[in-house]
Amino acid sequence: MTSKTELNKNSLHERQVINKKILRKVFLHSIPMEHSWNYERMMNLGYCYAMIPALKAIYGDDKEQMKEALQRHMEFYNTTPYVITLPLGISVAMEEKRAEDPEHFDTSSISTVKTAIMGPLAGIGDSFFWGTLRILATGVGTSLAVKGNVLGPILFWLIYNVPHFGLRYWLTFLGYNMGANFLTKVQESGIMDKLTYGASIVGLTVAGAMTSEMVYMQVAGKIGTGDDATKIQAILDGIAPGILPLILFGIVYYLLKKKWKPLPLMFLLMLLCIAAAYFKVLVAVE
Amino acid sequence: MLVTQTILIGILYFISQMDGFFGTSLIGRAIIMGPLTGLIMGDVASGVMIGGTLELAFIGAVSIGAYDPPDVASGTILGTAFAIKAGAGPEVAIAMGLPVSTIMQTVIAIAWGLLPTLFMHRADAFAEKGDAKGVSRNMFVAGFAPIVAVFWIVPAAYYFGSDAVVNLLGNIPEFITTGMDIAAGIIPAIGFAMLAEMIMNKKVAPFFFLGFFLIQYFGIGTTAVAIFAVIIAIVIVQLSSNQPQTKQEEDGFDDF
Repeated sequence: MTSKTELNKNSLHERQVINKKILRKVFLHSIPMEHSWNYERMMNLGYCYAMIPALKAIYGDDKEQMKEALQRHMEFYNTTPYVITLPLGISVAMEEKRAEDPEHFDTSSISTVKTAIMGPLAGIGDSFFWGTLRILATGVGTSLAVKGNVLGPILFWLIYNVPHFGLRYWLTFLGYNMGANFLTKVQESGIMDKLTYGASIVGLTVAGAMTSEMVYMQVAGKIGTGDDATKIQAILDGIAPGILPLILFGIVYYLLKKKWKPLPLMFLLMLLCIAAAYFKVLVAVE
Repeated sequence: MLVTQTILIGILYFISQMDGFFGTSLIGRAIIMGPLTGLIMGDVASGVMIGGTLELAFIGAVSIGAYDPPDVASGTILGTAFAIKAGAGPEVAIAMGLPVSTIMQTVIAIAWGLLPTLFMHRADAFAEKGDAKGVSRNMFVAGFAPIVAVFWIVPAAYYFGSDAVVNLLGNIPEFITTGMDIAAGIIPAIGFAMLAEMIMNKKVAPFFFLGFFLIQYFGIGTTAVAIFAVIIAIVIVQLSSNQPQTKQEEDGFDDF
């Protein structure tokens, strides 16, 4: 694994037509991956579009081969968009290999490999990008933004997209160099399991921190009268600070598990809050 | 003034819907759209603040699996614009924005359900002829068609609804705005619960409580907790691996 960013010139490809420039084009074409997302075959058109620079280099003016290749990549595809260049790189390597010897190459393996990688990749990609990185970016961004600091939105975008575009670019080359052998290599090494485990630790800890910082409620009312009166909220804080938001979180989590839809739940909570304000059960914080 | 704002809001909403075109880089999120709406309305600071608050209310609104999320951008843009115009705060933006997001979610689902598939089939026909240019052209059209079909609704709602909404906001009883203020603190719980549902399992569940109480007892802020969480994750992953595979892992990520 010494020269991953260098193009592997010797072993895999005898008649090399793919170079760095073309792989960079594939990367650029991968950016609007979800632009043409559709309910029928999802990312298929975006995938086919991203393959075009490579297919042109490989098949040139051979209309017949071009036609088959385009149709091949119009098949259903869907995974996390940020890691799409990994299967794209693999597909490019396989198409190139196929063009060397179309008679003996098992063409259906191109689709098999890209489909096989789709599920595991979406699992890891979704949990890392949606569950971890977005939460980090949102945590840092919103904590500044709610105070009116313009750095909030800027940091939000950068924290999310610098790793995103970096990884997307790098995976194009990794996918191409590893070709079809990628999947077996990764599964044997067990790297992905560890990364997913580590990422879910970070994601969940930050989710807990943000729940703590951003979810708040305060009860009204006192026990006793006059100067001896104790605020109910003070008693609750004595038990454990933040216990009310934590209980609320638990209830909401339970209801979602019971297949409640988020939006009706949101409107229900709003109505309850208005009722609570009317009967002065809860008070606004600050 | 109103006309200029309407046009700029139209452009802004159009761009927000091009998130897929820009690599799904989250440009349509509330934290980005709030400040830009603020810029249009001449009050960036309020826009930033409202955007940040709405981002938390909408934190669960991402499309994972079969869940069709509310349209964050339309709710943020109209919510922020009306709130700034009425001189109100984030709680009013949430109250205005949520219903808008729900309605637009339905409209968008219809447009995105029909139009991209239509042009994808046209791309199919070009693929059958081996015409790569035709495929590319339809890739672009497939994404822009639904945006063109629906984006005008948001500036139109701003143009025609502006006065009515501002008058309405002036006549709302106080307990309702107080209620919405309370709700602003409570609604993010839904988003965090959805998020936790996605990544929570028995093995990592304690870390949620670690993050929660680190903040409650020490008040160190989310960024600090994130730094500690990364350190803890690295240590735990290293401890839990029996074979010395970590070398390879580091190699892989130094490269970019």
